[in-house]
Parts: sequence; C-alpha cells; structure tokens
Amino acid sequence: MLDALHFSAMAISFTLNGSQVIAQSDPATPLLDVLRGELGLTGTKQGCDHEGECGACTVLLDGHPVRSCLTPLGKVAGREVLTVEGLAGPDGLHPLQAAFVEVGAVQCGYCTPGMLLSAKALLHRTLCPSRPEIIAALEGNLCRCTGYAKIVQAVELAAARLRGDAPHLNAAHAGPRPIGGSALRSDSLDKVTGKARYAEDLTLPGMLHSRVLRSPLPHARLSSSSVLRPSSLAEAGELPGVIRILTAADVPGSNGFAYYSQDEPVLPPAGATLRTIGAPIALVIAESPEQAERALAILQADLEPLPHAFDLDTVLADGAVPIAGEHNQLATWDLQHGDLEATLTASDHCLESCYETAFLEHAALEREALLGYLDEEDRITVIGGCHEPNFQRGYIADALALPPDQIRVIVPPTGGSFGGKQDPWPFIATALGVFHTRRPVRLVYTRRESFDASPKRHPYRVRYRMGATADGRLTGVHVRIDCNTGGYDGHGQYIPNFALTASGGPYRWPAVDGRARSVYTNGPKGGQFRGFGTGQSNFALECTLDELAQELGLDPLDLRLRNAITEKDWSFLGHPVGESLGYREVLEAVRPQYQRFLEEARQWNQSRVGHPLRRGVGLAGMWYRFGKSGSVRIEAHAELAQDGHLIICCSAPDYGQGTNTVMSQMAAEAFGVDREWVEVVNADTALVPYSGIQGASRATYFVGGAVREVSTALRSEVLGTAAELLDCDPDSLVIERDRVIAAGADCRGVSLAEVGGEFDRMGKPRRVAGFFDLASAFPAEIRPEYLPLVVTGAHLADVSVRLDTGEVKVRRMVAAHDVGRAVNPLDAEGQIEGAVLMGLGAALMEEVLPGQTTGLSDYYLPTAQSMPELQVILVEVPSRHGPYGVKGLGEAAMLPSTPAIINAVSRAIGVRLRTIPATPERVLQAIQLAPAQQGCYAGPRTRNAGGS
Amino acid sequence: MPAYTTPATLDDALALLASHKGQAMVIAGGTDLIPDLRRGVKCPQALVDISRIPELAHIEMTGEWLVVGAATTFAALKEHLAIRQRVPALAEAASAVGAMGIQTAATWGGNLVQAMPAADGAIVALALEAEARVAEPGGAAWRPVASLFRGPGQSVIDPTRQILTHIRVPLPTSPLDRAQGKRWGSAWRRVGRRDSLVLPILNCAVKLVLENASMPYDPPNLGGQGGVPNLVGQVEVMAEDLIERATIALGPVAPRPFRAQEAESFLAGKPLSIEVFEEAGRIAQRESNPRSSVMRASREYRLAVIPHIVSDALAAAAHRAQVGRRIHESLNQRLSGSVNQQSEGD
Repeated sequence: MLDALHFSAMAISFTLNGSQVIAQSDPATPLLDVLRGELGLTGTKQGCDHEGECGACTVLLDGHPVRSCLTPLGKVAGREVLTVEGLAGPDGLHPLQAAFVEVGAVQCGYCTPGMLLSAKALLHRTLCPSRPEIIAALEGNLCRCTGYAKIVQAVELAAARLRGDAPHLNAAHAGPRPIGGSALRSDSLDKVTGKARYAEDLTLPGMLHSRVLRSPLPHARLSSSSVLRPSSLAEAGELPGVIRILTAADVPGSNGFAYYSQDEPVLPPAGATLRTIGAPIALVIAESPEQAERALAILQADLEPLPHAFDLDTVLADGAVPIAGEHNQLATWDLQHGDLEATLTASDHCLESCYETAFLEHAALEREALLGYLDEEDRITVIGGCHEPNFQRGYIADALALPPDQIRVIVPPTGGSFGGKQDPWPFIATALGVFHTRRPVRLVYTRRESFDASPKRHPYRVRYRMGATADGRLTGVHVRIDCNTGGYDGHGQYIPNFALTASGGPYRWPAVDGRARSVYTNGPKGGQFRGFGTGQSNFALECTLDELAQELGLDPLDLRLRNAITEKDWSFLGHPVGESLGYREVLEAVRPQYQRFLEEARQWNQSRVGHPLRRGVGLAGMWYRFGKSGSVRIEAHAELAQDGHLIICCSAPDYGQGTNTVMSQMAAEAFGVDREWVEVVNADTALVPYSGIQGASRATYFVGGAVREVSTALRSEVLGTAAELLDCDPDSLVIERDRVIAAGADCRGVSLAEVGGEFDRMGKPRRVAGFFDLASAFPAEIRPEYLPLVVTGAHLADVSVRLDTGEVKVRRMVAAHDVGRAVNPLDAEGQIEGAVLMGLGAALMEEVLPGQTTGLSDYYLPTAQSMPELQVILVEVPSRHGPYGVKGLGEAAMLPSTPAIINAVSRAIGVRLRTIPATPERVLQAIQLAPAQQGCYAGPRTRNAGGS
Repeated sequence: MPAYTTPATLDDALALLASHKGQAMVIAGGTDLIPDLRRGVKCPQALVDISRIPELAHIEMTGEWLVVGAATTFAALKEHLAIRQRVPALAEAASAVGAMGIQTAATWGGNLVQAMPAADGAIVALALEAEARVAEPGGAAWRPVASLFRGPGQSVIDPTRQILTHIRVPLPTSPLDRAQGKRWGSAWRRVGRRDSLVLPILNCAVKLVLENASMPYDPPNLGGQGGVPNLVGQVEVMAEDLIERATIALGPVAPRPFRAQEAESFLAGKPLSIEVFEEAGRIAQRESNPRSSVMRASREYRLAVIPHIVSDALAAAAHRAQVGRRIHESLNQRLSGSVNQQSEGD
C-alpha cells in the first residue's frame, strides 16, 4: 500500500508505559508504526493493512483500547499510551499475563498483546465481568489459534484473582511427570510480555526492503521481448534508494521449486504465462519500504490478458481455455477394490450427493515475514516461519546454484501458519535479494498480498454414490473428487491422494471405486492447509453419511458405529491400519451429550411450532492419516551441556502449536529430569539435524520419537560414566535434579556437569544422535507410500437457525479426539478448540473469491462472538509405535467440526446444505428451495454472485 | 502552522479551519479518515482534531432532548446508562459499529459525516429523527440528520469549513408526550456475515410511538448483541394500543441512509400485531432498492430479508413500549395490594 501520508514531521510528546517520550514523525503516521519503528517497541503487532480489521495492534490510550494502526500520532499528544511492554509491573507479570500463560491462552502469541490490552481495559471497568461482557470486550481482536476459549478463561481467572477470589499460585497444572502434566509453554512468557521477536520484529544494520511486483490479472502473457518495459525499468532504477530490480534473468540456478510446485517459476521469464492474480513478476530492493513502493508504482510489465476461469466446470469443459497440464489436469489418483457396480446394484439403498467447498485462506495473524542476511560464516541465511527449514534450504540452494551448506534457514517465533507458511517462494525471494545485494533484506507481505499470493485450501467438488443395506451396513462407495489447485501446483500434485484417503473415513467398505484429480484454474494457487486436502473430503463424506442415516431412518451415531473399522479390519485404503484406533471410543464419548442435545432441540422445536428460530443437532466423525510419506527413520540430537543441562536439537518448527514445549517434555521424561532442565534448539539448519518433513501432524509422534530415543541413549551414557566415577552399578543410579545419585541409603552422587567434564576427559562426545525408526514395524516390502497411521475424532454441534433470514448461531459443540496420549493436555485442548473454530469458519463464513477478496475486512474469520460453548474430550487409546503412546492431532481436530455444523443446520432446516460456507444467503436459499431439492443435487455452484 | 492541531474549543477549531482556507480537514475518531489518507483518497494539508473539545464529547439529557456532542464515541454511547434505558436502539447501534477497539475512537458525528448508506450511526439517527447542529464561522444551525446525506460517502457537510457539533434526539419522556399519554419504543436489528467486526448485510432501526395511555416509560435494555435474535413471538398483542407514529430506517437499500416512509405511513393508526408488522415489512421491502454486494449478499437476499428484520425490529420496539406499560400496571397492582407481580419482559 502506498503510504500517502505527507505532513511534515512534528515533535509529539506523550507518556508511553509511564515514561515521557517524544516522537518526531508525520503527525498522521499511525501510532503503530511509530511504536514499532522510531520507538523500537515491537510487542505491538500488525496483522492487517492498517485497516483496523484484526485488533493485533490494540494499545490503551488513556485507558481505552484503540487500534494503534488507525490512531494518528497527533492524537496521542499529551496523553498516556500503554503497550504490552508496559503491562508487567516491577513485581512481575500483570495478573492477566500470568493467567494467559497458565491457562494456555497463548499459542502463536501474535494476537496476545492486543488481547491482553483489550482485557486490561475491561478489568479496569469491572472486576466482575460476565462472560458476554468479556466476549464483547474481545470481539474486535481476532485470534486464529485458540478458538478464544482459553483467552476468555484467562480473563475470568485474572478478574477473579484481582478480586481476591482465586489462588495466585500456578502449581495447579504441574503434574508429577513431564509427560501428561500440562506443562506451561516455555515460550509463553516472552509472548505475553512482548519480548518474543518474530521475523518482522528483527532489524539489522543496513537492512534493505524488498517488495514484489505482481500480476493484477488472473491470466496473462508477459511480453516476449522483456519482462519489464525498459523505460519503466530505467526510471524506477534511478529512483533514490532503489538498489536492485530483479527479474528471471537474475535467478542464477533453477528458476523454480519443482519438488514443491511443478512449473511455478521463482520469477517469470519474458513471454511466460502468469496464471493467477498476484503471480510475481519482479522484485524491487530498496533502502526503505516507501522507496521500494515508489519503484513498484513506476514499473510496468506488458501483459496480454488471456481468457480466464476460476471454476471447475469451465476449465473441464471441452475446448476450455488451456491453463496448464493436459486438459487442465495436474494429477489423478485412483483407488479400487471389490466389485462396486455389482455391490451397489444389490444394495437396498443407493444415495447420491455432491458437495462443494471454497478457497480458504489460512489468515495466520502474522503475515509472511522474512529477514535474510549473511551470517558469520557468510552463509545466506533466511529467518522466517515455515514447516520445513531443511526443504527451504534445498529450494534456495537450487535457485541460487549454491551447495546447501552455504544456505541457512532459521525458524523464529512464528505467528501461526496452518500450512500457509510452507510456500517456498518468499524464502527463495528473500535469499535472492541477499545473494544480489550481500546486505540484509526484509520481505514482508501486505495482508492483501498474502490473500492474493499465498497458497489457499483447494476448493473441492465431491460426488458420491453410496450403497447401504436397509439395516445400515455400508456396501460400497463410488466417489469422484475434483480439486481446484488454482493457477499453480503448490503441492496440488499430492492432493488427490489425500482427498481420496479422507473420502472413505474409518468405515468398512466392501467395494470402493474412487478417483480424485487436481485441476488447474486461474484461482489463487492451492497449497497446504490444515488437513492437507482431507478436510474437504471429510466434510462431504460425513454429510453424505448423515443423509444416508436420515434416509434409512437410523441414528447417525449408530450408523457410524455399525460401520466403524477396528484395528483388525482392512481400511478404505485396501490395507490394514498401522496404529491403534479409537474411533468407537470417541463416538461413545460423545453419545451422552449427543442424546441430551437431541432431546433439548426436539423439545425446543416442538414447543415453538411456527417460530422462525429452529434448532438442530449434527454429528460428524473423521479419520486423518498423519505422518506424511518419506523416510521412516527420524533423527534428533541430544547434548549434555557444560553446566549439565540437556540440550535437544531437532527440527520440529513451533509456529504456535507448541512443539518446543512438547519436545522438552518428552526429553525430560526420557532423560529423567525436570522440563526446565531441557533446552530445545529447534529448526535452525545450521544447528540441528534434519528431522523429516514437518507437517501432517507428525511432530509429536515422529520427532518426539527421535527425541525420546536420543534422550534415553544419552541418559544411559551419562549413567554409565557416572557409574564409573562413583564405582557402582549403573542400574543403581538415578538422575535427580542436576545430579546423578545412587539409589538407596548411599548418598553418593555426582553432578551432571561433572559427568560432562568426564565425557571430555574420556574423549566421549557430549552430543549424540538418536533415531526413531519405524522400519521394523513397517517392513519396506509391505510398506505403503504413506504409512497407514490414522487418528480419529467426532464432533457434535447444536445450532439455531433463523428460517426467515438464514442466520446461523452455533450454540454448543463437543469435540472428542483420540490423541493416543496427551503429552500436554492443556495444549491438546487448545489445539482442538482452535481447530473447532477454524472448522466453524469454513462451515459458515470463510471464502476467498478470486479477484474480489481484499483482506480481513471481507474474509470473515470467526470472532469471539462466534465461539460456541465447547467441551473437549481427550480420549486416550495409546498408539502402538509412537513414543509414550502419542498420536498426531493438530490438523485432524479441524475435520469433523465443519460437517457437524452443516449437518446440524441441515437437520434444523430440513434441507441439505451442500455448499460451504453456509452464508445466511445460502442457508435461506436452501430453505426456499426446500420442496424442489428432495435429496437431489441442487445444481452447480455459481461463483460470482456473492453466494449464488 | 502545525499540520496537526488539537484545539480546545469549537471557536478555535473553526478558526483553524478558516485559516487553512479549505486545505485543512476535521478529524474526529479518524477510523475512516486515516485509511482514506493512506490510500490517497483524501489529501488535506492539515488536520484539525476535534475529539478533545469538551463540549463536543458531552452527553446531556434535557427534558425533551438527548443532546450528544458529535465527537462522542460509540463506546461512550453504548455504555451510557440512560441511553441504554431510554433509547436502547442507539446503544445497540453503537455496539454494532466495528468492535470495541473501533468504538472507543469512532464518533457518532464522524459516522454521519462519512455518509455511508449503511452507517449504523446514520441508520439509528434517522429512525430516532435526530437533528444535527452544523457550525461554521458565520454561526450554527440545527437541521434534520436526514438532510445531511448527498450520496454514498457524500455529506453536505464540508469538513474543510464546517463542523458537526451536536446531535440531538427527541426523548420519549418529554413532558408533552407524557401529557398526551404516549409511549415510545425503539429497536435495532442487523444481519451480517458474522456477529461482530463486520459491515452489515442489512441494518434497521425503528421507533414506535404508541398513543392513548398515560404511563411512565422506563423499559429495560433488552441487550442481546450478536447471535440470532429471538424477538418474534414475544409480543403480546394488546388491541387497545394503537401506533400513533412509526419510523423505520434501513441500510444499505438506497444510495443514502433510507427511511421507509410508506411503511411508516401504513403503520400510523394501526393496532400492534405481528400481522401489521409483517405488512409494514413487505411495504418497506417494496420501497427498498438494495444493490448486490459480492462480499456480503445479493440484492435478492437483501430484499428477501427486509420484511423480516423490519418486523423483528417493530416487534422488539413494541415489546419495549409494552414493557413500560406492564411495569406500570404491576406497580399499580402492587400499590392496590395485589400480589400478582408480573414479569418484566423476557
């Protein structure tokens, strides 16, 4: 966004966190920019484009919460400003900060400063806030991680303490062992005080700023003579402060990142076709963001518009505009077993359905933000939130034609990802800037840019034919899935596999005929999104099962139980599952509430015949295959530090989900120390081994497995050496706090630091490698490409719907998940609560309309007001192979929430909703179409009518 | 002269504007203006901040009027106890503007001068038949809020020269009303893509004036922001109550904040009943001419929903008016020794 403020600077004096300060800036400059820039206080965050749409920048002005992005500096003259940095007193944390840490209200931490200040203003008004008052006070602060539940809880706790009603100590959560003890997150303290340094908070001397020239057209061809019009290039290049303007010719190595995204260039060469709005054209690197912006305004690329299409029908029609691939198709995946047609013909019932979903944006509160520089060993180093630092290093190395060891990628505290920050492009672009300038370079997307250019969740169209016997036994399934991958691959090549896998769920299917394909359009590029292609299929499956239950006159819970696979069954995928299955357990776990909700809704509806408000209850299940493909041998390192601390080195980036804490818990448990004795060095390619790709909810199981192995191995080394020092049997030794001591009456002992010293004298390495290896559990000759590791869960939704306006309110939800074993129950709950609300957004609100959606003002994320009353049930059916019985969770938790809500709405209105998001308009339309629908497909989705 | 000034009096503010000869602009809360400046939509050479002028941030209830300084924030409006009790639609509309962190800065006056067709502050001002005091160097005058809007985003107020200083709302308990036995009820209804921090698909404010009764008016605030309102069915039809006058304001259904005058005329003299409210809703629908918005809702949806939100709001307003009556009745009963204490609404 062009910064059009142009008043001359004034000296403006105000009180900031209790001290008098003077800022020298244009008085119309947003306070946010003054705080983060001139005054160097980076605790206040920017989440939107200075539009007041996210609340992350909330500060208190004379005690009132205001958006510092909308507050001109001139307004604060002579007034008092409080930021997160000023919240803690001399005696320590403010009760709100302490409560946020204790109840697990901090995940990525990017919304936290704003939340804290909004809450502080509320508690200044009243120490007895009601829950609706808390929600109203926080309704303008968006959070994408927590689902708001624990934030509201934290405010209640802090209020109670300030009233003197609750204990001030936080020992409540500390369990006897590191595992299962709801350990407080190791990084929350930094996040509630504003000390955590996210990528955008880092500056280096001589830092340059990079901005991207992007295509405004959905489909266009670049002039074949030059990428940029030469006159504009010359003019822009001469602007003050402009250092470099980079195009395809400046990419020294391979111009792409094919393993991640086939045929997507880093920067397009002359004559290239640009397939989506926001496709990059050139990079501008300048001394200041404003100077880079001025160059962008001058640069011109000659673009020849080409016919475009955003929807599946248009690109799949005969003679459709060619976008990429053969017939606009990227990849297909098939799955067949049994004789489907014969089975369906013989079935008592055969049901057809067609479900559609929309492009979804991750909308992590932190936008894409990276800092590149040359480190002390002259390595091109990029700091940025991502899932796979080793992969990013590889992509950068390829593009720069450098060996990987000359590249370094570090993951800093990250303000959420949900898959969105897997895109290699910003990493390569940042590294390219450093490569050419040999200076530090910052790249930060605007929110608008993030909407245009970051990957999206693929819209699906899923068509089912499903057979069942009259008593509700599933006989066979025919499923066809079209996945809209947008203009580029962005991992859409792998999507059909995941789409299909999720389309069968944890159910017995005697016959299966499945085919999924990913299809190019000119929509935004698809990519990883929480659930990686499984959420859309699971939505369609679980809604179709609900239709089937209704048609058969069966209870949907019983229908699912009747068909649920056990560990002994062959799954939908045509082979046995590789892990314990808790699906029956989660279904039974929700049954009491399910029956209660149903009865309450029935009574409510019955007692209000003709009333426009109707209630409905929906149920949905899920299976999710966690773990991804690739190596089954995962590495982590453990080191005995000079002072005896345990250092764990692994790569399981923490973008808010809490892996740092979980790894420290696992290591502490295995090594036999308190968690505070463990330091985790995570996700820095120069310091830690490659622990496999990070995603698919695999960190706790796989990386945690390696951390346990290596911690156990180091423990036995330590005990062995201590035994020699103490001249006793190693089996008689235990580690207590920082010492190894002999069990029993004998009080002899030696400190861990002394053991380390002995390691050095013996020439024994302090750092050891350990491996989590599933090769024996899954021998190569029978191992499928993706290990058949699945988790299951079930959600309930109780909704009310206005029949005359289509408005939906989700009143209550219950979420039960088999987590194997909850390493950190508080965090597991928090993951589920956040995922439930994200699923609610997908069900009712969220939709990116290509070329229309501009940012957080028109992409509707759930707010605190959207939060239902939510009960989380952690079911623990221990895994067979995972460390301590754990399983994956983070992504799976989003899956059942969307179909549970849609099933509830469909039940309330008596008509099936088959397109999400179920906006008020779509719901009303469904109600009005009710007589015509009768269980049939209600026609294609129209994309551009704001909900057709 | 500094580019940003924060005068302490209205006269100073007007003088500052005059001295900049059309190059300076009023800034109140700034929540709309600052983004406009960033986008280059507006390019003043100086800003005159009126948010620190005490008289412009003052709320006062005289016998007949609620007088609100134009720089009063929505947060102040929604938290004002007397407003919540006596003009609940205003408190509700104020809580619908953005969200808390916006409401603490955004002002009612600024919202009117922005002149957007679905501005919550404008819709409620229309329904309440509010008047605005516009000051300029030559003097100041009250004019109906309805006369301030020229078109989408266009106000008749020139922010380089004039200042909207106050908004006043006729109060339901004016001595005249009381003498004539009138009871008032106001209500607010909004439909959006989510419950907060969102522009409306539709918003609606109404005021009902009932005649033929002589009782005090003191309805409680129904509260209930967010969620799906559950108002229909709560109205007990009281045949003896007649609507003397009604106002219905709707947005965005026209280039300007809109009064559904035909529906209002229809209501005059009618008894309170759901059927009457629904008919008024259908008339309001015929008068409305909404546009399609890709990001919010289509024209068709808006048209389909208008009758329902209008009748919802009328029902709520009637409920509130009748709550006042029921309180009065129960007071009478208690005074006359009856133990039959009636519930005070929901």
